[in-house]
Amino acid sequence: MLQRRFSSGLANGLMTLYALVTLYPLFWLFTSAFKSNEEFYSRPFQLPTTWHWDSFSRAWKVSDMGTSMFNSIIVTGASLVLTLIIGALAAYILSRFQFRLKLAVMGLFLLGMLIPVHSTLVPLFIVMNKIDLLNTYGALIFPYVAFELPIAIFIIQAYMNTFPKEIEEAAHLDGMGYWGTFLKIMLPLSAPALSTVGILALLRFWNDFSFALVFISKPELKTLPLSLSQFATGYMTDYELTMAALTIAVIPTIILYLIFQRSIMQGMVAGAVKG
Amino acid sequence: MTSTVRTRRFIVIGLLPALLLFSFFVIIPIIWSAYYGFFDWKGIGTAKFIGFDNYSEIIHDEVFWRSLKNNMLVVAASVFGQVPIALVLALLLLKNSWIHKFIRTAVFMPMVLSSVVVGIIWGYIYHPEIGILNFLLDSLGLESWKRQWLGDPAVSMYSLMVPIIWNYIGPYLIMFIAALHNIPSEMDDAAKIDGAKGSRKLFSLTLPLIWDTIKVAVVLCISGSLKSFDLIYIMTGGGPAHSTELLASYMYNNTFAIYRFGYGSAVSTAIIIISLFLIAGSQYLMKSKNR
Repeated sequence: MLQRRFSSGLANGLMTLYALVTLYPLFWLFTSAFKSNEEFYSRPFQLPTTWHWDSFSRAWKVSDMGTSMFNSIIVTGASLVLTLIIGALAAYILSRFQFRLKLAVMGLFLLGMLIPVHSTLVPLFIVMNKIDLLNTYGALIFPYVAFELPIAIFIIQAYMNTFPKEIEEAAHLDGMGYWGTFLKIMLPLSAPALSTVGILALLRFWNDFSFALVFISKPELKTLPLSLSQFATGYMTDYELTMAALTIAVIPTIILYLIFQRSIMQGMVAGAVKG
Repeated sequence: MTSTVRTRRFIVIGLLPALLLFSFFVIIPIIWSAYYGFFDWKGIGTAKFIGFDNYSEIIHDEVFWRSLKNNMLVVAASVFGQVPIALVLALLLLKNSWIHKFIRTAVFMPMVLSSVVVGIIWGYIYHPEIGILNFLLDSLGLESWKRQWLGDPAVSMYSLMVPIIWNYIGPYLIMFIAALHNIPSEMDDAAKIDGAKGSRKLFSLTLPLIWDTIKVAVVLCISGSLKSFDLIYIMTGGGPAHSTELLASYMYNNTFAIYRFGYGSAVSTAIIIISLFLIAGSQYLMKSKNR
């Protein structure tokens, strides 16, 4: 008994150590954001001697984070709304109706999940160049939605498949049409699936770098990850500035993560298994 | 009669937005790029048809093969790094106590960070003069171990493996925990009665029962390896001397740095074909092992 408790204590100790090592880069990021440039490399492991708060406002101004934060919110918000509405509608139809090309439609979306996103950067660039979509919000919103739709449809459809048929029959007797049934019954009932899809899509849109890198070059349209990436080249030697900017960018996602942890974990696993 | 027309119309209208967006921004670009792969094209001006020249150049380009090899190294790092670490952690993290929850939260955390942030942080950790890794080695008296972690072509690719592994352990951990929770408790009881404990129970009961999940994880490692573009773009850009080039960065550099859109299109088509082959191959392996 004693030996067992000892070994489980040892295992917990080792794993806590592992967790702390995993978290250390983040901890180091947060503390470094408060350090002066000199302290950043002379005492990398200690806490700052004086806590510099001013780096944050300087980082916000110098890298014009207000603009990129605004762009990120617009692009993420619009893509999120479109993904949920279009995805839920398609999922409703695929889950509740029988028609000839149903299998073909589902196969098409399934194919979409197998295509590696990065391999489409060049083709998408060429297409969007032709239709003058580069350097607009649409250059990000449309591809984000298009690539998120397959997984959104599959998660929502799987959830809707579990609803009993009687629900719709009752709605039908009440004189509700298809749109009414979709908006007033299917959508509210699917709330758990919608929130899983939504939180995952939100994180993906908010964090996306490669699409923004290739499709956006106007400074006033840059999203947060894109403007942060310029620190990697431009301000790399102004450490306190870079660290403060990274901290500002990371805090919202960490808060979201801590709130929606369960659905993020489950959704990412479901998405990964299907993807 | 009218009701079937109404139903039909609803089906068409409901599916149309999803189908249009998806076809226009996913399927059509892929078909176009397969077409442009046969041209010599700078992105502007006229494109010149050159048949399979782009593809034969790809096959003869040493850098392409290096990129493919690096992608395979990422697969290997995931299969032999992420999967075993996640499995060991999962076996030890089954309880719902606060400490286990805390560790799971911590291990999953990097997944929600932007790869730009992850790349910059690790860029600083590896920095030759101010990086904390070299600082740590210095203070431990291991000066001879100090390296240009990202600047030395001999080690740069291996340096990149650490953040890649660090970043993506979380999902595998959650998958394995879910699989372990699905083992019926009668199995546990039966093992107890038979006196199976410790490593014998692990190898003869637990691992076989979650073997399917492990195979899924391996497939995910393969398909996920193509996604490391962002991290590598931020940390090394594929350099030095193409030592950390991946297929995606090879495509990016050829297209947007030197404006060879025809060639880039051919590379992107090649990537799609390679990844479909990899996925099909791994599915096949899983099937045959299932019997």
